[in-house]
Amino acid sequence: MNRSTSEPAGPVVIEAESIVKRFGGAVAVNDVSISVRAGEIYGLVGENGAGKSTLMRILAGILRPDEGEVRVEGKALHGGAKAALEAGIALVHQELSLVPEMTGAENIMLGSFPTTAGFIRSADMKKIAADAIEEIGVQIDLDEPIVRLSVALRQFVEIARAVARKPKVLILDEPTATLTPAETDHLLAMLQRLAAKGLSIVYISHRIPEIFSICDRVAVLRDGNLIEMMDIGETTPDDLVDKMVGRDLKLDLQIHRESNPGDVVFSARGIHAPGVDGIDLDVRAGEIVGLGGLVGAGRTEFVRAALGVDPKTAGTVTVTTDGRSTKIATYRAAVRNGVAYIPEERRTDGLALNMSVADNIALPNRARLSTGSVLKPKMIAEFATNLADSVGLRPPDIRRDAGEYSGGNQQKVVIAKWLGREPRVIVLDEPTRGVDVGAKTEIHRLIRDLADRGAAVLVVSSDLPELLDLSDVVHVIRDGRIAGTLSGAEADEKSVMTLAAGGRLVEAS
Amino acid sequence: MTETATPRETPTRQAPSETGPSQRRAALLQWIAERGIFVFTALLIVFAAIFVDGFASTVNITDVFHRAAPIGIVAVGMTFVVISGNYLDLSVVAQVATSAVIFIGVSNLYGIPLAVGLAVLVALLYGAVNGVAVGYFKANAVIVTLATTYVGLGLLRWLSGGSIFFGPPDGPIRAMGQIRIGPLPLSMIVLIVMALVLAFVLNRTTFGFMVRCVGSNKEATRLAGVSTPRVVLGAFVITALAAMIAGFVLAAFSNTAVSTMSSGFEFRALAAIIIGGTSVFGGRGSILRTLLGVVFVSVLTNILVLSNISFGWQQIAIGALIAAAVSVDALARRAAQ
Repeated sequence: MNRSTSEPAGPVVIEAESIVKRFGGAVAVNDVSISVRAGEIYGLVGENGAGKSTLMRILAGILRPDEGEVRVEGKALHGGAKAALEAGIALVHQELSLVPEMTGAENIMLGSFPTTAGFIRSADMKKIAADAIEEIGVQIDLDEPIVRLSVALRQFVEIARAVARKPKVLILDEPTATLTPAETDHLLAMLQRLAAKGLSIVYISHRIPEIFSICDRVAVLRDGNLIEMMDIGETTPDDLVDKMVGRDLKLDLQIHRESNPGDVVFSARGIHAPGVDGIDLDVRAGEIVGLGGLVGAGRTEFVRAALGVDPKTAGTVTVTTDGRSTKIATYRAAVRNGVAYIPEERRTDGLALNMSVADNIALPNRARLSTGSVLKPKMIAEFATNLADSVGLRPPDIRRDAGEYSGGNQQKVVIAKWLGREPRVIVLDEPTRGVDVGAKTEIHRLIRDLADRGAAVLVVSSDLPELLDLSDVVHVIRDGRIAGTLSGAEADEKSVMTLAAGGRLVEAS
Repeated sequence: MTETATPRETPTRQAPSETGPSQRRAALLQWIAERGIFVFTALLIVFAAIFVDGFASTVNITDVFHRAAPIGIVAVGMTFVVISGNYLDLSVVAQVATSAVIFIGVSNLYGIPLAVGLAVLVALLYGAVNGVAVGYFKANAVIVTLATTYVGLGLLRWLSGGSIFFGPPDGPIRAMGQIRIGPLPLSMIVLIVMALVLAFVLNRTTFGFMVRCVGSNKEATRLAGVSTPRVVLGAFVITALAAMIAGFVLAAFSNTAVSTMSSGFEFRALAAIIIGGTSVFGGRGSILRTLLGVVFVSVLTNILVLSNISFGWQQIAIGALIAAAVSVDALARRAAQ
């Protein structure tokens, strides 16, 4: 591990020493030490799942580390989020955590209302909130309920809430994910002003240009490990991406499926929806198209809007099967026309956990498993058993509740229930998240089999090796648009990450 | 949208092979949630037959079930709404009274076929209003059906002038109320037939299957291509039709009808459903459970009456039972997670 050799800018304000955090068997953060000085902006980068957010939650006292300790100005931090807040650590969450019906002033002061005998001193509250807003230099009507503010302004209210507590350390987790370029510039300038006044800032971002524009030092996390910590002058965007991805790319031999794409089956044109800003995309019969990009780039939103799961504001989707094209207006029309959708959240959206595997498999296939709307239990049992076998469900007991199975087997059930419909288009969002390695391989095999049998397959995945391994074509989504398209041969971890993080793709020499 | 904040590996639910104290407790709760009502009902009947004077006579037992039948018919219908995950239909109280008043009042003037036709229309209207508001507009079922209860009872009182309607003493409705097959009065036969039909609908038809799926996981059901609002609408229509039939039965056995005759039906039906072990969270439950809930509550009430225990204590007993049933349901769910 390299350490910075330059002189410290100021005294160390917060330090984390040898932090280890495990979730179940998985190590999310593995022996990571960082220290941040007064007036410094400290960048933290890494792929999805590298452990950045977990580490930040530990610094903010929300999660308790399994090993190691956090110290603020030399004093060890004990006692959770409240103690961390009192010690001067303020975290701006990745997801907004405001109360929509309350005003800006109330949200900024939530949890630290100035009170007399239990009554809120309204004038004082507004004064402190107004000061905080002034500090970050934006114009917000603090008497408006939060719901009436734009998403960007809500983000600033969230930051004002942190600043109002006069913290020593401000931690921001992907604060620009929902901001326009102009708003981003404003935010970055504001952070530099705050740092100049002596505030320590920890800045997490996927966006490489932002890191280079404001950070003094940058640390790279990968798979829970601190790979390297550098002065910003010691590194380049290219170098940083290399360290985030980490694997020796030249040696990554990918075995590509022999694909022989046929006609376009699924065609999306001009899809607009919240978070989706005009995406065109085709998937051919027998082809696996991958959607890469960062969490929050708009991949899931695109898929859901295109299929009609969530409303879209503009755009058309056409499914062409057996030479017949149908415009898809609603999700149910999509399903009727041979589309299968395997959602990101399998436990809440994919399965009825307290119903049997057989029932779950029967649900989308109920029409063929009944006559005159009377179910055929024997037929259901046979049908479900066959499908459970074909996806390799273990144990293959279709009468068990779906909730009793592990993540990987649950995903097999979700796939099985759609296999029964012989889908022409199959859309999978994070198909192997939370799935063990063995099941992952089997699920990949099922996805390839579907394509080999002529289905048009669209896969959203944040797991880069998976995306590269499966896809014949990769579209990288950034800020709700396709930032670039890579053929299976040209796509590698670096090219996908570069496009996803907002860099320009330079031809390899 | 977080990355590593949640564990990567989804925990598997433990098979109940290891037996620590918490597993044993979970297993016991599951057992009570799943089998409790069957065992407790049987024990209660055996207890009553041995220790309670006057319980084990044909006259007493038919009387108990004869009285319980209208509530039972409402309850087996309302089971659909509860299983669909929409708590209850309060407006059954208005629906039963409206149906009874139409059945006697309108048939006195225009004959039975027209009365039945009108009652069916009214029931469909109730089902449609409740079902569309809850299913399509995603309104809260308790509030929606509270509103339809007030409006429905108000309309009924206004249109009926609050009067009591009597069927002719030698008319067909009176005769209907007197029908018996062996020891079974018509009310019980109707209840049994309704229960059989609705159990078939719930367990063996695609509609009933979708009701159970919607109650178990609405979003997953929607994503399987089901129109979940239509399913919820169907559940309310079934409840309304059952309440209508309960109104006919109630009117037939006294040959009278008045807007207040079904007061308390909504809560007594719900009590039976919950005590039977149908989950108020939706998804789990059955018609048989509801029937057992009706039997249990009726037998218990009968024991208390025969033992000269005051009405106040009867109510306290039912309340405690509901609390116990809901606690078992909630605890069993939590233990299973």
